Amino acid sequence: MTQSALAKTISAVRSAFRGYYFKPNMIETPDMIEQREFGYMQFAQVGMVRHLSFNSMKELTATIIKEAPADIYCSNAYYRFPTYPMQEKQWLGADLIFDIDGKDLHLPCVSSHSYFVCANCGRASASAPDEKKGYPCQLCSGKELDSVSIPCANCIDGSKKEVKHLIEFLTGDLGMKQGAIQVYFSGNNGFHVHISDGAYARLDPQARSDLVGYISGAGLMAESVGVRKRNAENLFLIKFPKSGLAYGWRARVADKLKIKSSSIIKLKHIVEQRGGYTPFKVDVDRMARDMGVRIDPQVTTDVHRVFRMPGTLNSKSGLVKMKCGDLDSFDPLVEACLLGDNKVSVRVKTSVKLKLKNKSFNISKESAELPAYAAVYLICKRLAEAN
Amino acid sequence: MDSSNLSSIRMGTGDLAKYPFLNEAGEYLRESGFGWEELERPDMKDVIDRAAERVEVEVSGNIYDKLDRYEIEILTFLVSLIMVKSIGMESVLRKFTLAEARRAEKFLTEDLKRQNEMQKRSLFAKIFDDLFKLKIEISEDGRLLKVKVPDYLARSSHFHEQEWKLINRLVHNGYVYLDVDETVRLVRNELSVLIYEKIRMMTLPTLPQAIKVKADDLRSKLAPRYEYRVTAVTEYPPCVKHALEVMGRGENLPHSARVMLATYMLAIRKPVDQIVMMYENAPDFNEKITRYQVEHLAGMKGSRTKYSVPSCDKLRNENLCFAIAECNGIINPIQFGRKRK
Ligand code: SF4
Ligand SMILES: [Zn+2]
Ligand SMILES: [Zn+2]
Repeated sequence: MTQSALAKTISAVRSAFRGYYFKPNMIETPDMIEQREFGYMQFAQVGMVRHLSFNSMKELTATIIKEAPADIYCSNAYYRFPTYPMQEKQWLGADLIFDIDGKDLHLPCVSSHSYFVCANCGRASASAPDEKKGYPCQLCSGKELDSVSIPCANCIDGSKKEVKHLIEFLTGDLGMKQGAIQVYFSGNNGFHVHISDGAYARLDPQARSDLVGYISGAGLMAESVGVRKRNAENLFLIKFPKSGLAYGWRARVADKLKIKSSSIIKLKHIVEQRGGYTPFKVDVDRMARDMGVRIDPQVTTDVHRVFRMPGTLNSKSGLVKMKCGDLDSFDPLVEACLLGDNKVSVRVKTSVKLKLKNKSFNISKESAELPAYAAVYLICKRLAEAN
Repeated sequence: MDSSNLSSIRMGTGDLAKYPFLNEAGEYLRESGFGWEELERPDMKDVIDRAAERVEVEVSGNIYDKLDRYEIEILTFLVSLIMVKSIGMESVLRKFTLAEARRAEKFLTEDLKRQNEMQKRSLFAKIFDDLFKLKIEISEDGRLLKVKVPDYLARSSHFHEQEWKLINRLVHNGYVYLDVDETVRLVRNELSVLIYEKIRMMTLPTLPQAIKVKADDLRSKLAPRYEYRVTAVTEYPPCVKHALEVMGRGENLPHSARVMLATYMLAIRKPVDQIVMMYENAPDFNEKITRYQVEHLAGMKGSRTKYSVPSCDKLRNENLCFAIAECNGIINPIQFGRKRK
């Protein structure tokens, strides 16, 4: 991209973003605002401006309107001194947050709406790069390609399913109240699930990592469903845990195996069929992981992370991170698409199809006049630039 | 349950002898008119000898389990605290508190297994709720105990055995179901922290001669074993820090974590001697074996290959990673703190 095209593109997106932030009450006020750390990214600049603190939404909004940042973040943690360097902030607690990202679900539809953008010159193409040749860009022979996806309805449904699965764990096994669980569309291709429960807010990264293991089905032992190892290789004995198999993971696996805590002989038979202790153990582990929820473990265990603020724009898409009322009917490509529809003229780098605000765009010409929300979306995806 | 009612249940001297760290034990002594001068009396020699024995036994990693005369043992506990305080060595203090915690754990387990529901509830109210803010309930069928999931996680996540992972527990409707041994195990660390803090906060009176002599005695006996073994844990990566903390508490560390710790320390060029001493608090510590293993990892023994520090990826898979923001962008613990200006 030439310097002037770059400047024009940034200014187009920035003014669309600023227009959005001028509207009142778009951003959700975090509770304990004075105790949070804020940060933001600016367009075309590396590194985050961090360790900021605001006493009110008024102060925060003033900064946002002035800077019109690309992305705005707020810590899940609350600190005694949010503006101090990390070691001196004095951590008081952090909201428990789960991240479900569509791209971790490896859905089969993804390749049909993926594009490849050269990290060096920005050239975009819909055709998958030639792996054997080591991805050289046809324009600049740069070696690094980013893959960009325009999530389809199927992708969104996939993520929603995972969210519901997560909520089953939270309200069932973990006994959380529906009211303590808030689901947000991430602004791009996934969901953030925020938990407001003081008892969880105080947990350290280790405890959170254990919780992540539970929800994602990692680390279930054969012993937990009654199969114990004996000294010699592959030998085992059946001894059900004192607390039984009636609930939680034990019940999930027991159901799968069709056993109860009285089915000693049946379980013995199953293990033998599998080939003994070790193969059975591997099997149990795989079964649990398959039944677990695909959440990003790093996100949940980090208690010093900053998260995109609800009600702010995501610079990867120009969509808003927003609370979903009814998850089933929530359509992010309509409800989270809140930029204006004044016409913006763009140069589109590759032919592309998308649907926003219930309007389908099928663009094959290089130059196009698009409503701002669609133009910004393509620019954010790096598939277009301002003309 | 109505805890205001229950906390008015008086603990017997037997209970206080088992759980002498309870505030009631101090009150009991005060009410019975005990004063420091008393310790100078010749018939207190038995108490002082017992206290010295208690310290010695426990510092060597065993449990002092005499309980034949309740009043005497309450006093013995108090005097042993004074001795440990006046010995003034961190590792003696740590080993002593750890053993005292194990001792209380043993009694607590026995009591909870034997007692009826009402008695159990009073112990819960006194020890778990008062001291550790841990609410324990009795399961629906009365066979097990249950604690809230976050209360469980806050404690269990510092244990390393796979069976303590939440996924290997019976979890239902916000509760984790545990048997008596497991419930008591859950607070072991807190017990030792409680006793540790008690000693740390103590201000010593002018010691009665009899105690001073015993304490000096113990100090000269123990000093060569335990001095100068404090490891600074400041700028290590979180995974390494965590391993050192677990060691410090005298808990068992999984093999893979031991390897990580040793290879990391070798990589930052800590001398083998110092590395070996980091494992000193491990329950199964054997200096010769540990030295051999460290030297083996250093490539000085056996296959002569030098082992490198496992990658963050690998550690993450083994649940040994405790990444913080500063870990962003590194792939091996050895890079921690280096990429920054
Ligand atoms: S990211 Fe690496 S250095 Fe940081 S805690 Fe995890 S394993 Fe250790
Ligand atoms: Zn290129
Ligand atoms: Zn799709």
